[in-house]
Amino acid sequence: MTSQFTFGARVPVFDANVRVGDLHYEPSPCRNRAQLLAEMDRHGVERALIYHAHTEEVSPVDGNRFLEEWLGEDGRLFPQWSIMPTADSMAQVRGLHEQGRVRSVRLNNTRVAGLPFRPWVHAPMLSWLSENRIPLWIPVPDTDPDELVTTLEAFPELVTVLVGAHYLHALWVRPLMNALPNAYLELSRLEPLGDVEALCSEFGVERFVYGSWYDRYAMGTMLFYLHHTDLSDAELELVCAGNLERILQGEGAE
Amino acid sequence: MIGDQKIIDFHGHTGRQDTYNMIDDPAAILHAMDRAGIDVACLFNIFHPDGTTGNDITARFVAAHPDRFAGFAYVSPTMAEGMVAELTRAVDELGMVAIKLYPPFTKWDLNEPIWHPIYEFADERGLAIIFHTGTDPHSDPGLLEDCAAQFPNANFVAGHAGNVAEPRAAAIKAAQTYSNVYLETCSTFRTPGVIEQLVNEAGADRILYGSDIALMDPRSQLGKIITADISEEDKRMVCGGNAARLLGI
Repeated sequence: MTSQFTFGARVPVFDANVRVGDLHYEPSPCRNRAQLLAEMDRHGVERALIYHAHTEEVSPVDGNRFLEEWLGEDGRLFPQWSIMPTADSMAQVRGLHEQGRVRSVRLNNTRVAGLPFRPWVHAPMLSWLSENRIPLWIPVPDTDPDELVTTLEAFPELVTVLVGAHYLHALWVRPLMNALPNAYLELSRLEPLGDVEALCSEFGVERFVYGSWYDRYAMGTMLFYLHHTDLSDAELELVCAGNLERILQGEGAE
Repeated sequence: MIGDQKIIDFHGHTGRQDTYNMIDDPAAILHAMDRAGIDVACLFNIFHPDGTTGNDITARFVAAHPDRFAGFAYVSPTMAEGMVAELTRAVDELGMVAIKLYPPFTKWDLNEPIWHPIYEFADERGLAIIFHTGTDPHSDPGLLEDCAAQFPNANFVAGHAGNVAEPRAAAIKAAQTYSNVYLETCSTFRTPGVIEQLVNEAGADRILYGSDIALMDPRSQLGKIITADISEEDKRMVCGGNAARLLGI
């Protein structure tokens, strides 16, 4: 694709990783739903999977409630509920599931609370997700890789999306993808030279999803990058939307 | 090229850094550049305090593709006695067109006198110096104000434009205060609105696109500029116009 000074996506885009709302220590530059949709329109993004910033470090239960006001009814913003292995959090997500509103969940950063990602803590939650074919988004920067692999190996049916791996994780991305065949990699921060093409070639384009991690990061950056790789348009469409659609339908990579 | 604009990446590395899987493979670098229309990448090697070892590596890298790469000379005050001689060799014999400095690999703030022979050299020759800047105290971009005032014929470039909010504000203030201070854009912190902030507050004529190649892919860092909410004229200046003027290439 020839570069221009203007950019818009040339394939349908379903962003797998968008944060909305304020952090307790930092207001979001995106103040409301209309502004988010305008930013998506500016880059040619049709749909986005969104979670609330309040879930990150304060409360997944309250944050999930705050997410409701962002959803709307135009089918462009899809909820991703955050979850942690506590009775209240599990009850909330189970309730949403009974209403048919859970297509994916996001692991709360339990490191803030000193909670390791180990089976003795997380097994009941992971079992329930696996049984109900609910994919789990896991922010890589918040997780110990050894805990990730040893815990998830016990749940081979559980589909996971590993979010936000960057250059500090460059040495363990490949072993992680090998160890967890049901894991997808989200690409918001995957900037090592040539790694998008290399990883897609090594593991298959089916295992990668585009996410911007807006508003933590600028929305269009990685989308521009993906549009200037060796990926064919069919492959680009899978990474930008098709793979995510399949994951949200409860279908794994295998 | 993007349209008729030559695209120049102002921030790139030679040398391997396997701990981050950074491999300076020229084929991979050129492939990424070609995919996004990047014409020239400016390269330096910061891994050898003598300067000479890394500058020779960079010079060989550039010599293999002289139309695509430009070399920047590196020296370190940890071996202060040889700095000016090495800069002279690197510029006059190896054809390097600017200077790279990396304060985190030293124990001195970037405005301390031990660095001054480098600045005098740049001042005499009208060269640009790009620094790593960020939260590390030695790399505080606010310190560039001292340098810019004392050495007005040199141009001082805050690499990463300070990286995060507080040092970024100091970098912008330095650029507002001194016409020989520039801000370079590469950063893993791709916070929304940063490019717009740099352009609006420091001026588009003072901002330089950089990628941190081969640590980072130049396409994502270029995408940060192309998808920013700034004018096409501003993008042209940031993506290459300013660098061409500064480097004379």
